[in-house]
Amino acid sequence: MAGRVITITSGKGGVGKTTATANIGVALARRGKRVACLDADIGLRNLDVVLGLENRIVYDLVDVVEGRARLRQALIKDKRLPDLCLLPAAQTRDKTAVKEAQMLKLVEDLKKDFDFILVDSPAGIEVGFKNAIAPADEVIIVTTPEVSAVRDADRIIGLVEAAEKPAPRLIINRLRPAMVKRGDMLDTKDVLEVLAVELIGIVPEDEGIITSTNKGQPAAFDDRSPAGGAFTRIGQRLLGEDVPFMVFDDSSGLFDRVSKFLKR
Amino acid sequence: MTPISFKGTREGIHISLGDQPWREIMDELGQQLVRPGAQSFFRGARVQLDTGARLLGVTELEELIALMAQHQMTLTSVIGEAETQDAFIKLRSALPAPPEILPAPPAEAEPPATDATALLIHRTIRSGQLIRHAGTIVVIGDVNPGAEVIAEKDILVWGKLRGVVHAGASGDASAMVGALYLAPTQLRIGSSIARAPDEKRAPVWSAEIARIRDGQIVVEPWNAA
Ligand SMILES: Nc1ncnc2c1ncn2[C@@H]1O[C@H](COP(=O)(O)OP(=O)(O)OP(=O)(O)O)[C@@H](O)[C@H]1O
Ligand SMILES: [Mg+2]
Repeated sequence: MAGRVITITSGKGGVGKTTATANIGVALARRGKRVACLDADIGLRNLDVVLGLENRIVYDLVDVVEGRARLRQALIKDKRLPDLCLLPAAQTRDKTAVKEAQMLKLVEDLKKDFDFILVDSPAGIEVGFKNAIAPADEVIIVTTPEVSAVRDADRIIGLVEAAEKPAPRLIINRLRPAMVKRGDMLDTKDVLEVLAVELIGIVPEDEGIITSTNKGQPAAFDDRSPAGGAFTRIGQRLLGEDVPFMVFDDSSGLFDRVSKFLKR
Repeated sequence: MTPISFKGTREGIHISLGDQPWREIMDELGQQLVRPGAQSFFRGARVQLDTGARLLGVTELEELIALMAQHQMTLTSVIGEAETQDAFIKLRSALPAPPEILPAPPAEAEPPATDATALLIHRTIRSGQLIRHAGTIVVIGDVNPGAEVIAEKDILVWGKLRGVVHAGASGDASAMVGALYLAPTQLRIGSSIARAPDEKRAPVWSAEIARIRDGQIVVEPWNAA
């Protein structure tokens, strides 16, 4: 059976695409799925750092595309999770180094050996974004609950629709419940009202993300981590499990179970 | 890859460019236009062009318009990205105005029929998208913040209107804007401009229409219209 290609993208930069890709990869691999994470952010690679695999890079995506390395040679196996692999981006090349057709071919090859291919897309609407979207069977949009990020997410959703991909799904990242409660941050309803797409996860703001990124140990390895838990649930939803959405409750510091009103 | 596609509508022909390389699109279009039997379909048609995610510059649009002109076709509206729209607007102001959008002679009692054709859009217009049309525009869906809709006649939105709209864009002060939920970032009718009040409006769903009365844009409940 051919793998599912899921591209993780956003309009605004720095909203958490790479963090999401690494953590969803870990979440799926922990459930026994064979996962390849593909860093399509050529020239600005950092998925390897977040996954803690930077020091093992020998070849990269451009080497494979240009025939200097075979796909197997370039894929880095995660020692913690044998089902998780990374295909790193080239650090020293620019976005135009890869053509859309080459990207399609590469992903087609990966599909034979993996259940999931997660593509970490660059932000914006340029060539890099187009290359990342072209092979996608599914698209996940990441946004933070800020007006400017939502506006850019909307633009990207428009482009994904124009590319005739299935309706994208949404991750709202870095939600700060205390701010929402004070009325200082958009809440989930506000965001969904504009974007009108299906929500696949809400990830709270979590300091643990910073430490886990620094250590190269994605939060989804840790079941007690609030953000890690949220990414684990996103993984479960991708596997078709019906996991209820949680909202952060300030007073108790725990997640409250809520009905599925958020689902559209 | 999505190829170029054609659809006959009541208003004319809807052409979706697809995502093939530009040269292939032009070749394909050129061949389609001269196919036996195609003449009657295309000749004299008004064309709505859907450029999707593709960005077209002035040169490409010019090439397209020139090819269409050989078959007496007129490009009346472009649905696509803001950059493409900008190019279209630039071209339109440079080209001699197509005869059907010239103001009707004062003696004529009824409005020119060609102006009245409506463009129906059945989806949400998202940020960065711009729709421009020489007649009325009807949107079934939302017009999101960051989106722009410009019509030379009325604009009706069967959904939430939160972007920028301009009705009567060539100076028609009798044009109006109606929406199920009217909260545009900016609303223009003819040469008048109004913007949303700064305080956030409670999301009440009640159809409203905006029009010019005594030189001012006023918003009224739909039922009073
Ligand atoms: N839920 C979270 N809580 C706290 N910090 C977060 C969270 N998600 C992401 N971050 C931090 O935000 C920053 C940007 O994240 P990330 O690199 O994943 O974004 P990106 O969308 O991939 O950025 P780019 O557009 O540059 O590729 C990082 O420093 C990351 O640690
Ligand atoms: Mg990134």
